[in-house]
Amino acid sequence: MTVTHPGFEAQLDAYLDDELAAADARELEAHLAQCRECARFRNERLELRAAIRAQVPTFEAPATLRDRVRAAVGATGGVARAPRRFAVRGMWRSLALAASLVVVALGSWRLALQRAAGESLADDVLTSHIRSLMPGHLTDVLSSDQHTVKPWFNGRLDYSPPVYDFSGRGYPLLGGRLDYVDGRSVAALVYGRRQHLINVFLWPVARRPAAAPASRTHQGYHLLHWTTADYTYWVVSDLGLPELGDFAGLLRQADSAAGAPK
Amino acid sequence: MEPSEQARFEAVVLPHLDAAYTLARYLTRNEHDAEDVVQDACLRALKYFDGFRGEEGTSARAWLLAIVRNTAFSARHRRRPEADALEFDEAQHSDAVADAHPESALLRSAAKESVGRALDRLAPEFREVIVLRELEGLSYKEISDVAGVPVGTVMSRLSRARTRLQQALREEEGG
Repeated sequence: MTVTHPGFEAQLDAYLDDELAAADARELEAHLAQCRECARFRNERLELRAAIRAQVPTFEAPATLRDRVRAAVGATGGVARAPRRFAVRGMWRSLALAASLVVVALGSWRLALQRAAGESLADDVLTSHIRSLMPGHLTDVLSSDQHTVKPWFNGRLDYSPPVYDFSGRGYPLLGGRLDYVDGRSVAALVYGRRQHLINVFLWPVARRPAAAPASRTHQGYHLLHWTTADYTYWVVSDLGLPELGDFAGLLRQADSAAGAPK
Repeated sequence: MEPSEQARFEAVVLPHLDAAYTLARYLTRNEHDAEDVVQDACLRALKYFDGFRGEEGTSARAWLLAIVRNTAFSARHRRRPEADALEFDEAQHSDAVADAHPESALLRSAAKESVGRALDRLAPEFREVIVLRELEGLSYKEISDVAGVPVGTVMSRLSRARTRLQQALREEEGG
Protein backbone atom coordinates (compact mmCIF):
# COMPACT_ATOMS: atom_id res chain seq x y z
CA MET A 1 0.00 0.00 0.00
CA THR A 2 1.40 3.38 -0.90
CA VAL A 3 0.39 6.87 0.16
CA THR A 4 1.15 8.28 -3.27
CA HIS A 5 -2.11 6.78 -4.48
CA PRO A 6 -4.62 9.66 -4.31
CA GLY A 7 -7.48 7.36 -3.41
CA PHE A 8 -5.64 6.19 -0.36
CA GLU A 9 -4.69 9.70 0.67
CA ALA A 10 -8.37 10.58 0.53
CA GLN A 11 -9.10 7.55 2.75
CA LEU A 12 -6.56 8.77 5.27
CA ASP A 13 -8.02 12.25 5.19
CA ALA A 14 -11.49 10.85 5.72
CA TYR A 15 -10.14 8.86 8.66
CA LEU A 16 -8.59 12.00 10.19
CA ASP A 17 -11.87 13.85 9.58
CA ASP A 18 -13.73 11.10 11.42
CA GLU A 19 -15.74 10.40 8.28
CA LEU A 20 -14.71 6.79 7.73
CA ALA A 21 -16.97 3.87 8.59
CA ALA A 22 -15.85 2.08 11.77
CA ALA A 23 -14.66 -1.11 10.03
CA ASP A 24 -12.59 0.84 7.51
CA ALA A 25 -11.22 3.02 10.28
CA ARG A 26 -9.99 0.01 12.26
CA GLU A 27 -8.29 -1.40 9.19
CA LEU A 28 -6.61 1.90 8.54
CA GLU A 29 -5.42 2.27 12.12
CA ALA A 30 -3.79 -1.11 11.90
CA HIS A 31 -2.01 -0.03 8.73
CA LEU A 32 -0.92 3.30 10.22
CA ALA A 33 0.70 1.51 13.15
CA GLN A 34 3.13 -0.29 10.86
CA CYS A 35 3.59 2.06 7.89
CA ARG A 36 6.06 4.87 8.52
CA GLU A 37 5.13 6.72 5.34
CA CYS A 38 1.46 6.81 6.22
CA ALA A 39 2.25 7.92 9.77
CA ARG A 40 4.27 10.81 8.38
CA PHE A 41 1.42 11.71 6.05
CA ARG A 42 -0.90 11.81 9.04
CA ASN A 43 1.45 14.03 11.03
CA GLU A 44 1.79 16.48 8.15
CA ARG A 45 -1.97 16.67 7.82
CA LEU A 46 -2.34 17.34 11.53
CA GLU A 47 0.26 20.10 11.25
CA LEU A 48 -1.62 21.61 8.33
CA ARG A 49 -4.85 21.53 10.29
CA ALA A 50 -3.21 23.30 13.21
CA ALA A 51 -1.71 25.90 10.87
CA ILE A 52 -5.08 26.59 9.27
CA ARG A 53 -6.71 26.98 12.68
CA ALA A 54 -3.96 29.36 13.77
CA GLN A 55 -3.60 31.45 10.64
CA VAL A 56 -6.87 31.48 8.71
CA PRO A 57 -9.48 33.57 10.53
CA THR A 58 -13.23 33.32 10.47
CA PHE A 59 -15.03 36.65 10.15
CA GLU A 60 -17.86 38.39 11.93
CA ALA A 61 -20.50 39.82 9.63
CA PRO A 62 -20.24 43.63 9.83
CA ALA A 63 -23.05 45.34 11.76
CA THR A 64 -24.03 47.28 8.63
CA LEU A 65 -24.54 44.02 6.74
CA ARG A 66 -26.66 42.62 9.56
CA ASP A 67 -28.77 45.78 9.47
CA ARG A 68 -29.13 45.63 5.71
CA VAL A 69 -30.33 42.04 5.85
CA ARG A 70 -32.77 42.80 8.67
CA ALA A 71 -34.11 45.79 6.78
CA ALA A 72 -34.58 43.73 3.63
CA VAL A 73 -36.42 41.01 5.53
CA GLY A 74 -38.61 43.57 7.30
CA ALA A 75 -39.50 45.19 4.00
CA THR A 76 -40.80 41.90 2.62
CA GLY A 77 -42.98 41.58 5.69
CA GLY A 78 -44.45 44.98 4.80
CA VAL A 79 -45.32 43.80 1.31
CA ALA A 80 -47.11 40.75 2.61
CA ARG A 81 -49.21 42.75 5.04
CA ALA A 82 -50.41 45.17 2.35
CA PRO A 83 -50.15 43.28 -0.90
CA ARG A 84 -52.65 45.33 -2.87
CA ARG A 85 -50.93 48.55 -2.12
CA PHE A 86 -47.75 47.53 -3.83
CA ALA A 87 -48.78 44.95 -6.37
CA VAL A 88 -50.83 47.39 -8.40
CA ARG A 89 -49.02 47.21 -11.68
CA GLY A 90 -49.08 44.05 -13.71
CA MET A 91 -45.88 44.78 -15.55
CA TRP A 92 -43.21 44.13 -12.97
CA ARG A 93 -40.19 42.76 -14.65
CA SER A 94 -37.23 41.29 -12.95
CA LEU A 95 -33.79 42.66 -13.50
CA ALA A 96 -30.85 40.44 -12.74
CA LEU A 97 -28.67 42.73 -10.71
CA ALA A 98 -27.23 42.09 -7.29
CA ALA A 99 -27.59 45.35 -5.39
CA SER A 100 -29.21 48.72 -5.61
CA LEU A 101 -29.65 52.26 -7.06
CA VAL A 102 -33.13 53.57 -7.92
CA VAL A 103 -34.64 56.99 -8.61
CA VAL A 104 -38.23 57.58 -7.57
CA ALA A 105 -40.24 60.63 -8.50
CA LEU A 106 -42.79 61.58 -5.87
CA GLY A 107 -45.90 63.47 -6.80
CA SER A 108 -46.58 65.91 -4.02
CA TRP A 109 -44.69 68.96 -2.80
CA ARG A 110 -47.00 69.02 0.19
CA LEU A 111 -45.28 66.03 1.66
CA ALA A 112 -42.20 68.06 2.32
CA LEU A 113 -44.19 70.79 4.05
CA GLN A 114 -46.17 68.43 6.20
CA ARG A 115 -43.19 66.55 7.43
CA ALA A 116 -40.91 69.07 9.00
CA ALA A 117 -38.14 66.70 9.94
CA GLY A 118 -38.44 64.53 6.84
CA GLU A 119 -37.57 61.52 8.96
CA SER A 120 -40.68 59.48 8.30
CA LEU A 121 -40.48 60.44 4.62
CA ALA A 122 -36.92 59.18 4.57
CA ASP A 123 -38.18 55.94 6.10
CA ASP A 124 -40.84 55.67 3.39
CA VAL A 125 -38.30 56.26 0.68
CA LEU A 126 -35.94 53.71 2.16
CA THR A 127 -38.70 51.11 2.48
CA SER A 128 -39.58 51.72 -1.15
CA HIS A 129 -35.96 51.27 -2.13
CA ILE A 130 -35.59 48.00 -0.26
CA ARG A 131 -38.85 46.71 -1.67
CA SER A 132 -37.62 47.47 -5.18
CA LEU A 133 -34.73 45.07 -4.61
CA MET A 134 -37.07 42.14 -4.24
CA PRO A 135 -37.09 39.95 -7.33
CA GLY A 136 -39.40 41.33 -10.00
CA HIS A 137 -40.06 44.65 -8.27
CA LEU A 138 -37.40 46.87 -9.74
CA THR A 139 -38.82 48.24 -12.97
CA ASP A 140 -42.10 48.60 -14.87
CA VAL A 141 -40.33 49.95 -17.92
CA LEU A 142 -37.04 48.23 -18.53
CA SER A 143 -34.97 50.40 -20.82
CA SER A 144 -31.65 52.16 -20.87
CA ASP A 145 -33.07 54.69 -23.33
CA GLN A 146 -34.19 57.89 -21.64
CA HIS A 147 -36.48 58.59 -24.62
CA THR A 148 -38.34 55.37 -23.82
CA VAL A 149 -38.45 55.79 -20.08
CA LYS A 150 -39.60 59.41 -19.92
CA PRO A 151 -42.68 59.02 -22.19
CA TRP A 152 -43.65 55.89 -20.27
CA PHE A 153 -44.75 58.12 -17.39
CA ASN A 154 -47.13 60.12 -19.61
CA GLY A 155 -50.67 59.57 -18.40
CA ARG A 156 -49.44 57.66 -15.38
CA LEU A 157 -48.44 60.71 -13.40
CA ASP A 158 -49.46 64.37 -13.42
CA TYR A 159 -45.91 65.41 -14.13
CA SER A 160 -43.12 64.28 -16.42
CA PRO A 161 -39.96 63.56 -14.47
CA PRO A 162 -36.61 64.47 -16.07
CA VAL A 163 -34.79 61.30 -17.15
CA TYR A 164 -31.09 61.15 -18.03
CA ASP A 165 -28.65 58.47 -19.02
CA PHE A 166 -25.22 58.61 -17.40
CA SER A 167 -23.91 55.37 -18.86
CA GLY A 168 -20.94 57.30 -20.25
CA ARG A 169 -20.05 58.17 -16.66
CA GLY A 170 -20.58 54.68 -15.28
CA TYR A 171 -24.15 55.17 -14.02
CA PRO A 172 -26.35 53.62 -16.72
CA LEU A 173 -30.09 54.19 -16.73
CA LEU A 174 -31.80 50.84 -16.11
CA GLY A 175 -35.46 51.78 -16.24
CA GLY A 176 -38.33 53.26 -14.29
CA ARG A 177 -41.46 52.28 -12.45
CA LEU A 178 -44.45 53.63 -10.63
CA ASP A 179 -44.17 53.26 -6.91
CA TYR A 180 -46.41 54.07 -4.02
CA VAL A 181 -45.12 56.28 -1.26
CA ASP A 182 -47.04 57.91 1.53
CA GLY A 183 -50.43 57.19 0.05
CA ARG A 184 -49.98 58.17 -3.57
CA SER A 185 -48.51 57.02 -6.86
CA VAL A 186 -45.03 58.26 -7.59
CA ALA A 187 -42.46 57.63 -10.30
CA ALA A 188 -39.17 55.87 -9.71
CA LEU A 189 -36.10 55.96 -11.93
CA VAL A 190 -33.49 53.26 -11.62
CA TYR A 191 -29.79 53.73 -12.27
CA GLY A 192 -26.96 51.23 -11.91
CA ARG A 193 -23.40 51.40 -10.69
CA ARG A 194 -21.48 48.15 -11.08
CA GLN A 195 -23.63 45.73 -9.08
CA HIS A 196 -25.33 48.45 -7.08
CA LEU A 197 -28.66 50.04 -7.79
CA ILE A 198 -29.57 53.66 -7.10
CA ASN A 199 -33.12 54.81 -6.35
CA VAL A 200 -33.78 58.49 -7.07
CA PHE A 201 -37.10 59.85 -5.83
CA LEU A 202 -38.18 63.23 -7.18
CA TRP A 203 -41.38 65.19 -7.09
CA PRO A 204 -42.44 68.72 -8.05
CA VAL A 205 -42.14 71.57 -5.60
CA ALA A 206 -43.59 75.05 -5.86
CA ARG A 207 -41.47 78.11 -5.09
CA ARG A 208 -39.32 76.61 -2.45
CA PRO A 209 -35.77 77.73 -1.93
CA ALA A 210 -33.21 75.46 -3.54
CA ALA A 211 -31.22 73.43 -1.03
CA ALA A 212 -27.89 71.67 -1.40
CA PRO A 213 -27.67 67.88 -0.90
CA ALA A 214 -27.85 66.63 2.66
CA SER A 215 -27.04 63.04 3.49
CA ARG A 216 -28.21 60.59 6.08
CA THR A 217 -27.58 56.91 6.66
CA HIS A 218 -30.28 54.46 7.66
CA GLN A 219 -29.79 50.74 8.18
CA GLY A 220 -26.63 50.73 6.11
CA TYR A 221 -28.15 52.61 3.17
CA HIS A 222 -27.25 56.15 2.22
CA LEU A 223 -29.91 58.72 1.39
CA LEU A 224 -29.24 62.05 -0.30
CA HIS A 225 -31.88 64.76 -0.34
CA TRP A 226 -31.90 68.10 -2.13
CA THR A 227 -34.23 70.58 -3.75
CA THR A 228 -33.99 72.38 -7.09
CA ALA A 229 -36.25 75.10 -8.45
CA ASP A 230 -38.77 72.50 -9.67
CA TYR A 231 -38.21 69.21 -7.90
CA THR A 232 -37.24 67.80 -4.61
CA TYR A 233 -34.95 64.78 -4.85
CA TRP A 234 -34.31 61.70 -2.76
CA VAL A 235 -31.51 59.38 -3.82
CA VAL A 236 -31.03 56.02 -2.08
CA SER A 237 -28.42 53.33 -2.47
CA ASP A 238 -26.10 50.99 -0.68
CA LEU A 239 -23.36 52.49 -2.82
CA GLY A 240 -20.62 54.28 -0.87
CA LEU A 241 -21.35 57.90 -0.03
CA PRO A 242 -18.55 59.42 -2.19
CA GLU A 243 -19.84 57.68 -5.33
CA LEU A 244 -23.44 58.48 -4.47
CA GLY A 245 -22.41 62.12 -4.10
CA ASP A 246 -20.72 61.92 -7.49
CA PHE A 247 -23.94 60.61 -8.99
CA ALA A 248 -25.97 63.35 -7.30
CA GLY A 249 -23.57 65.88 -8.82
CA LEU A 250 -24.25 64.48 -12.31
CA LEU A 251 -28.01 64.72 -11.75
CA ARG A 252 -27.80 68.29 -10.52
CA GLN A 253 -25.55 69.26 -13.41
CA ALA A 254 -27.91 67.67 -15.95
CA ASP A 255 -30.88 69.43 -14.35
CA SER A 256 -29.32 72.86 -14.55
CA ALA A 257 -28.08 72.20 -18.10
CA ALA A 258 -31.62 71.24 -19.10
CA GLY A 259 -32.90 74.52 -17.68
CA ALA A 260 -34.84 72.99 -14.83
CA PRO A 261 -37.37 71.04 -16.87
CA LYS A 262 -40.99 71.02 -15.89
CA MET B 1 -44.52 36.70 4.54
CA GLU B 2 -46.41 36.76 7.84
CA PRO B 3 -44.75 38.44 10.79
CA SER B 4 -44.38 35.05 12.48
CA GLU B 5 -42.78 33.68 9.33
CA GLN B 6 -40.46 36.67 9.27
CA ALA B 7 -39.50 35.98 12.87
CA ARG B 8 -38.86 32.35 11.96
CA PHE B 9 -36.66 33.41 9.05
CA GLU B 10 -34.64 35.70 11.29
CA ALA B 11 -34.32 32.98 13.92
CA VAL B 12 -33.19 30.38 11.39
CA VAL B 13 -30.96 32.44 9.12
CA LEU B 14 -29.44 35.31 11.11
CA PRO B 15 -27.48 33.07 13.54
CA HIS B 16 -25.50 31.84 10.52
CA LEU B 17 -24.69 35.26 9.12
CA ASP B 18 -21.08 35.13 10.35
CA ALA B 19 -20.60 31.75 8.69
CA ALA B 20 -22.19 33.09 5.51
CA TYR B 21 -19.96 36.16 5.53
CA THR B 22 -16.83 34.09 6.21
CA LEU B 23 -17.54 31.81 3.25
CA ALA B 24 -18.30 34.80 1.03
CA ARG B 25 -15.07 36.50 2.11
CA TYR B 26 -12.99 33.52 1.05
CA LEU B 27 -14.90 32.91 -2.18
CA THR B 28 -14.83 36.54 -3.33
CA ARG B 29 -11.54 37.47 -1.62
CA ASN B 30 -12.96 40.96 -1.24
CA GLU B 31 -14.91 42.33 1.73
CA HIS B 32 -17.23 44.56 -0.30
CA ASP B 33 -18.12 41.81 -2.76
CA ALA B 34 -18.61 39.50 0.22
CA GLU B 35 -21.19 41.85 1.75
CA ASP B 36 -23.04 42.14 -1.55
CA VAL B 37 -23.03 38.38 -1.98
CA VAL B 38 -24.38 37.75 1.52
CA GLN B 39 -27.11 40.36 1.18
CA ASP B 40 -28.12 38.97 -2.18
CA ALA B 41 -28.03 35.44 -0.81
CA CYS B 42 -30.27 36.37 2.12
CA LEU B 43 -32.84 37.84 -0.26
CA ARG B 44 -32.75 34.61 -2.25
CA ALA B 45 -33.00 32.61 0.95
CA LEU B 46 -36.05 34.63 1.90
CA LYS B 47 -37.63 33.88 -1.44
CA TYR B 48 -37.14 30.14 -1.06
CA PHE B 49 -37.71 30.04 2.67
CA ASP B 50 -41.19 28.57 2.29
CA GLY B 51 -39.57 25.51 0.80
CA PHE B 52 -37.12 25.15 3.65
CA ARG B 53 -38.37 23.21 6.63
CA GLY B 54 -35.14 21.77 7.87
CA GLU B 55 -36.24 18.21 7.24
CA GLU B 56 -34.13 15.37 5.87
CA GLY B 57 -31.15 16.38 7.91
CA THR B 58 -30.48 19.60 6.01
CA SER B 59 -29.16 22.05 8.53
CA ALA B 60 -30.11 25.71 8.19
CA ARG B 61 -26.43 26.49 8.16
CA ALA B 62 -25.67 24.24 5.19
CA TRP B 63 -28.79 25.47 3.45
CA LEU B 64 -27.76 29.11 3.76
CA LEU B 65 -24.14 28.38 2.86
CA ALA B 66 -25.30 26.63 -0.31
CA ILE B 67 -27.18 29.75 -1.35
CA VAL B 68 -24.19 31.95 -0.50
CA ARG B 69 -21.92 29.66 -2.48
CA ASN B 70 -24.15 29.69 -5.56
CA THR B 71 -24.64 33.45 -5.32
CA ALA B 72 -20.89 34.00 -5.11
CA PHE B 73 -20.16 31.74 -8.04
CA SER B 74 -22.84 33.24 -10.26
CA ALA B 75 -21.73 36.77 -9.35
CA ARG B 76 -18.17 35.83 -10.23
CA HIS B 77 -19.31 34.33 -13.47
CA ARG B 78 -21.24 37.47 -14.32
CA ARG B 79 -18.28 39.70 -13.68
CA ARG B 80 -15.65 37.60 -15.43
CA PRO B 81 -17.30 35.08 -17.71
CA GLU B 82 -14.06 34.47 -19.55
CA ALA B 83 -12.17 33.54 -16.41
CA ASP B 84 -14.49 30.81 -15.23
CA ALA B 85 -15.45 27.68 -16.98
CA LEU B 86 -18.68 26.45 -15.44
CA GLU B 87 -17.56 22.89 -15.69
CA PHE B 88 -14.65 22.24 -13.46
CA ASP B 89 -12.28 19.58 -14.61
CA GLU B 90 -10.10 18.47 -11.75
CA ALA B 91 -7.91 16.32 -13.94
CA GLN B 92 -6.97 19.21 -16.18
CA HIS B 93 -6.86 21.79 -13.51
CA SER B 94 -3.55 23.26 -12.50
CA ASP B 95 -2.70 25.78 -9.82
CA ALA B 96 -1.57 28.23 -12.45
CA VAL B 97 -5.12 28.56 -13.70
CA ALA B 98 -6.39 29.36 -10.25
CA ASP B 99 -4.73 32.72 -10.07
CA ALA B 100 -6.39 34.59 -12.91
CA HIS B 101 -8.13 37.03 -10.57
CA PRO B 102 -6.52 40.42 -10.10
CA GLU B 103 -8.03 41.11 -6.69
CA SER B 104 -6.19 38.21 -5.17
CA ALA B 105 -3.09 40.36 -5.40
CA LEU B 106 -4.70 42.78 -2.96
CA LEU B 107 -5.40 40.08 -0.46
CA ARG B 108 -1.95 38.69 -0.76
CA SER B 109 -0.68 41.79 0.97
CA ALA B 110 1.95 41.50 3.62
CA ALA B 111 -0.46 41.32 6.54
CA LYS B 112 -1.64 37.88 5.56
CA GLU B 113 0.02 34.78 6.90
CA SER B 114 1.36 32.11 4.63
CA VAL B 115 -1.49 29.61 4.95
CA GLY B 116 -4.02 32.35 4.22
CA ARG B 117 -2.07 33.37 1.13
CA ALA B 118 -1.82 29.79 -0.08
CA LEU B 119 -5.56 29.37 0.45
CA ASP B 120 -6.34 32.46 -1.62
CA ARG B 121 -4.31 31.02 -4.46
CA LEU B 122 -6.20 27.74 -4.56
CA ALA B 123 -8.79 27.22 -7.26
CA PRO B 124 -12.23 28.25 -5.94
CA GLU B 125 -13.51 24.67 -5.88
CA PHE B 126 -10.59 23.63 -3.68
CA ARG B 127 -10.78 26.77 -1.56
CA GLU B 128 -14.44 26.24 -0.77
CA VAL B 129 -14.04 22.69 0.55
CA ILE B 130 -11.20 23.80 2.83
CA VAL B 131 -13.26 26.69 4.19
CA LEU B 132 -16.39 24.55 4.60
CA ARG B 133 -14.49 21.80 6.41
CA GLU B 134 -11.81 23.57 8.43
CA LEU B 135 -13.49 26.89 9.19
CA GLU B 136 -17.19 26.07 9.10
CA GLY B 137 -16.84 22.53 10.44
CA LEU B 138 -19.29 20.94 7.98
CA SER B 139 -19.54 17.18 7.52
CA TYR B 140 -18.74 15.61 4.15
CA LYS B 141 -22.46 15.15 3.57
CA GLU B 142 -23.15 18.81 4.30
CA ILE B 143 -20.29 19.93 2.04
CA SER B 144 -21.73 17.68 -0.65
CA ASP B 145 -25.08 19.48 -0.28
CA VAL B 146 -23.47 22.92 -0.34
CA ALA B 147 -21.16 22.31 -3.30
CA GLY B 148 -23.65 20.14 -5.17
CA VAL B 149 -21.25 17.23 -5.74
CA PRO B 150 -21.27 13.62 -4.49
CA VAL B 151 -19.68 12.79 -1.12
CA GLY B 152 -16.94 10.85 -2.91
CA THR B 153 -15.99 13.98 -4.84
CA VAL B 154 -15.94 16.00 -1.62
CA MET B 155 -13.56 13.44 -0.16
CA SER B 156 -11.12 13.47 -3.07
CA ARG B 157 -11.35 17.22 -3.60
CA LEU B 158 -10.63 17.94 0.05
CA SER B 159 -7.65 15.62 0.00
CA ARG B 160 -6.23 17.24 -3.14
CA ALA B 161 -6.84 20.69 -1.70
CA ARG B 162 -4.85 19.83 1.41
CA THR B 163 -2.01 18.38 -0.61
CA ARG B 164 -1.89 21.55 -2.71
CA LEU B 165 -1.83 23.73 0.38
CA GLN B 166 1.08 21.71 1.74
CA GLN B 167 2.92 21.98 -1.57
CA ALA B 168 2.40 25.75 -1.65
CA LEU B 169 3.69 26.10 1.91
CA ARG B 170 6.72 23.95 1.20
CA GLU B 171 7.51 26.01 -1.88
CA GLU B 172 7.26 29.19 0.14
CA GLU B 173 9.61 27.85 2.79
CA GLY B 174 12.04 26.55 0.21
CA GLY B 175 11.96 29.61 -2.04
